[in-house]
Amino acid sequence: MNLMANILLNVLIAFLVGSVLLGLYRKVVARVQSRPGPPIIQYLLHLLKFYIKESSFPKTAAMPFYIGIASILMVIWISAVIVGPVTQGSLLIIFGIYAIHKIVEHNAGSSSGSPYGKLSCVRAVYSAAAEVPLFAVLVIIYLKTGSMGISDIINYQAVNGPLLYAIPLAAAMYLVLIISKAQYTPFSITKGKDIVSGYETEHFGLLRGYLMISESIMWYMLLWIFLTVFLGPISPIAYIIGMVGITVGIAFISATSPLLNPNHSVILQIIFAIIGIVGSILMLNVL
Amino acid sequence: MDIATLSGQVFGYIPLGDIVLYFTPFNLFLFGGALLFTLLIALSNTETQVEARFGSLEDREVKVDIGEFKIRRFLAIVCGLATAGAMITGDLFNFTLFAALIGIVNLGLVAAVKMVDVLDSAFQYGIIAMISSLPLFGGAAIVLATTGTLSILELANSTVTPMVTFGSMLLLMGIAGETGVAPFYATKAEMFRTPGSPFLVIIHLSSLLVIVRAIEILLIINKPF
Repeated sequence: MNLMANILLNVLIAFLVGSVLLGLYRKVVARVQSRPGPPIIQYLLHLLKFYIKESSFPKTAAMPFYIGIASILMVIWISAVIVGPVTQGSLLIIFGIYAIHKIVEHNAGSSSGSPYGKLSCVRAVYSAAAEVPLFAVLVIIYLKTGSMGISDIINYQAVNGPLLYAIPLAAAMYLVLIISKAQYTPFSITKGKDIVSGYETEHFGLLRGYLMISESIMWYMLLWIFLTVFLGPISPIAYIIGMVGITVGIAFISATSPLLNPNHSVILQIIFAIIGIVGSILMLNVL
Repeated sequence: MDIATLSGQVFGYIPLGDIVLYFTPFNLFLFGGALLFTLLIALSNTETQVEARFGSLEDREVKVDIGEFKIRRFLAIVCGLATAGAMITGDLFNFTLFAALIGIVNLGLVAAVKMVDVLDSAFQYGIIAMISSLPLFGGAAIVLATTGTLSILELANSTVTPMVTFGSMLLLMGIAGETGVAPFYATKAEMFRTPGSPFLVIIHLSSLLVIVRAIEILLIINKPF
């Protein structure tokens, strides 16, 4: 297939599947809490609505930084689709993309001048300390497979079986990272209910649309990486089942657990990281 | 040990004497990202931070004055360029120089704010950055003394000895201190409470990107395979 057509197709799939999964997420949370909840396509409708709404900008915003930063978020997650499903490039680039995502999350909040955005910004900086697991997951995968290339990791699993069984604690650490990116989970402190919508609070119209489309692609990509890196070569149907399963599981966690305060959230993630890193190194040496 | 297994296909080289730049998708993506952010910072104004006034219902607006704006923008641009350099360099010593420059300009960015808490934070960060310069350059020197080269391309083919691993550990400690990442991040955390969003981004960007690049370089040098 032509490369450009391949990119467009994969970005479209990531956007649509990600949007529906985030809609499903809200639906499951609502049903667990005995509420009817929105339709599953609500996220998609919500997103499209913002593209036809009037865009307005706070007079306190740092221009054009405020606009540029929201646009960059969309660009980097489209890049992630190119590096991931399209070219199956290096996991290190995906990590670079995630690092830039953290920076955008941080500065989308502070660039508006809103105190809610600012608090989200401070929390984004604070929570960066809790993302040690991601570094560790990458290094552990590299130590196990001998490559950072996604295609090499898939081939390794085709021969040696899924990494989920070989390095389960690394998979668990990555799952904690996914949980921290889902809405209203114990670790999603940058968008806690106490700070309205966090860094998105002062983004309206087209810019909010950019943020929402980026989040849908990000959700798809986080799940795609988990399934690809830890389960290996699986069919498209298995990808769909896996993504729905993880989304529903995290929705249950979100619906039944409290929102932690930032200190507790970060410390808990660091504890998980220490257990995961030490445990994985021990398992690598033993197995 | 193949650089391509870590960073993707090598697109090309630019030999500059014994320093050889190499281009992989990973290096180019981070280099482009750092330059894009630097351009955005150079073009942007700062935000007006709105805060609640204690004891009344009015708001208080906190702005960056023009003198502070100019010096912080200059330092942020230098920091962005140093970060871009650290992403693309093929020489270990250049990487440590860029990391040290990032530490210096980050310190300047924090110290340019005329607030007591922020200046305290700058003082602590300055001490950490100064102390970290010893393991930073010491680590690179040990790698040079052991292998006879600082070219990352050459290091990819050199033998790993305990001294190389020791030098790499020192290097990692130095980078962590210079960029102020965990466990040192608290030393510059106060900075993020001040206005000047475009300047704050570069502090965070430089720290994260340099750490990501450091992981690549350390894995190349130590070759677990």
